[in-house]
Amino acid sequence: MTPKSYWNPYLAGIALGLVLLASFLIAGQGLGGSALPKRTIAVIGSQVAPEASAANPVLGGYLEDDTNPLKNWIVVEMIGVMMGGFIGAISAGRFKATVEKGPRISTKSRLYYALGGGIIMGFAAGLARGCTSGQALSGGALLATGSWAFMLMVFAGGYSFAYLVRRQWT
Amino acid sequence: MSGLFPLEFLNEEAHLLTGILMGFFFGFTLERAGFGNARKLAAQFYFHDMAVFKVMFTAILVAMVGLYSLVAVGVVDMSRMWINPTFMWAQVIGGFLLGVGFIVSGLCPGTSLVSMFSGRIDGLVAFVGMFVGSFVFVVSIDWFPSLARLYVAGSMGTSTLPEVFGVSAPVLILGIVVMAGLGMIGAEVVERIFQKRRQAVELTPAPTPRARNWKFALTGSLAVLVVGAIAASPAPPVIAPVEPIAIEPLSLAEDLIDGDPNLLVLDLRPAAMIEDGMVQGALPAADSDAALPYLQSLALDTRVVVYDEVGIRPQIPQEWPRTLRYYFLTGGYEGWRTGVLTPIEPESYDLEHRERVARQNQIAAFFSGAAVQSSGVSAPPPVISSGGAKKKKNRGC
Repeated sequence: MTPKSYWNPYLAGIALGLVLLASFLIAGQGLGGSALPKRTIAVIGSQVAPEASAANPVLGGYLEDDTNPLKNWIVVEMIGVMMGGFIGAISAGRFKATVEKGPRISTKSRLYYALGGGIIMGFAAGLARGCTSGQALSGGALLATGSWAFMLMVFAGGYSFAYLVRRQWT
Repeated sequence: MSGLFPLEFLNEEAHLLTGILMGFFFGFTLERAGFGNARKLAAQFYFHDMAVFKVMFTAILVAMVGLYSLVAVGVVDMSRMWINPTFMWAQVIGGFLLGVGFIVSGLCPGTSLVSMFSGRIDGLVAFVGMFVGSFVFVVSIDWFPSLARLYVAGSMGTSTLPEVFGVSAPVLILGIVVMAGLGMIGAEVVERIFQKRRQAVELTPAPTPRARNWKFALTGSLAVLVVGAIAASPAPPVIAPVEPIAIEPLSLAEDLIDGDPNLLVLDLRPAAMIEDGMVQGALPAADSDAALPYLQSLALDTRVVVYDEVGIRPQIPQEWPRTLRYYFLTGGYEGWRTGVLTPIEPESYDLEHRERVARQNQIAAFFSGAAVQSSGVSAPPPVISSGGAKKKKNRGC
């Protein structure tokens, strides 16, 4: 089966905007995409090194009440994202075990880039208290000052390093 | 004002269940937009395919205009909405780094999930990388005090653009709509220039004929403008509510000890509750009209801190002067009692932690009237506010 084509970006944007709006109205908060790693580390940390974790400025906040840090709206929402992405890919005939890359780079190198970029993003999402979903998209729609600064800097960071890693894509 | 939305749930589990549903549609839409494909996302940064910009800004416009229209007609209570607090420097540096990570991996945190569940190995690897990166951050913040300072640098509490620019929300939203509309027209132009040199990522719908695409962008912007204008129209008579900024109990305590003359604390609780005690120097102000003449006599930019029992963000009455700056005490009087009046025990041998505990206990002693040990000094020596003692839950992202 030939995969379906992607949606028109404006229509996809309207759909995404409605999901975000529903999330504001129903749950009282926007969507997110980076709480799962942080909170998983909090859970592991509280088992392996309870005192150090409780004293940590980031993890301590997740551990201060006795509920499981993974019992959190954004964590549950991220599991929903996985399910939605999976159903979306299957139903569009796009599910395929492969590596997305340009023609000039080996699969192995591309995976190193993906890992390196992931590590940078994990660090960055920790520092900024959120990512493109939680800060730029959700905070942006709520007009939060810092979220707009974050969003502009994401584009600045992406564009300023794009030339250096062009071998991956073109 | 209490609107119907955000919905209130009988229990936490019901609230969490909505997360699965919202996440499902979020993931599905991202996949359909093509955002499970790293090449499609990365193309944004080479001007070949501006879908990231177009989808993201269309979504922001729809959600923003929709939300603030509903606020204007009074069915949404923004005081119950979780708004990302601003930590300017942490977000500026973190945002830049996230952009770098985005172009290096070709994915952002949310889209790496979609990519991974579309079978893409690079998505899986990037997601694993995020765990590593989060761990590195969490450990580094303990090891490098400068990183811990950066994490809280530029703290502005809940700050929104209308406050920063001093305009009403509808005006600011119209500005964003106009700029995003121009940006989308620009994105169409840029794509046409670069598509001559480069093939678009496969499966991307063929560009609609020029005229139609322009019309689409324009009608879209216009439609949003019209909705925005409708939202804005009832707004002028109703002055935008003053959003008080959060202040932590310890931070207030230090300002009180410093004897800041331009600081007024108001207790909003009913008289019966005040009997248990109130913040030192606070004035009872359960009756907002009675407090009005006094407030009007205050100097420009005086800081007014209000508190209730548990720290719900209050609505500042419309009549109160806008020349003052309003704050609310996080945790309310309860937070003051536990965070300032109650001495605490150190939990670790970390020197900084112990200094913080000692500092808090000095403050506790100062306010509870107990003698301060060590010397006869009545006020503890001023220490640079750690600012790191934020106890707020990090709900974002």
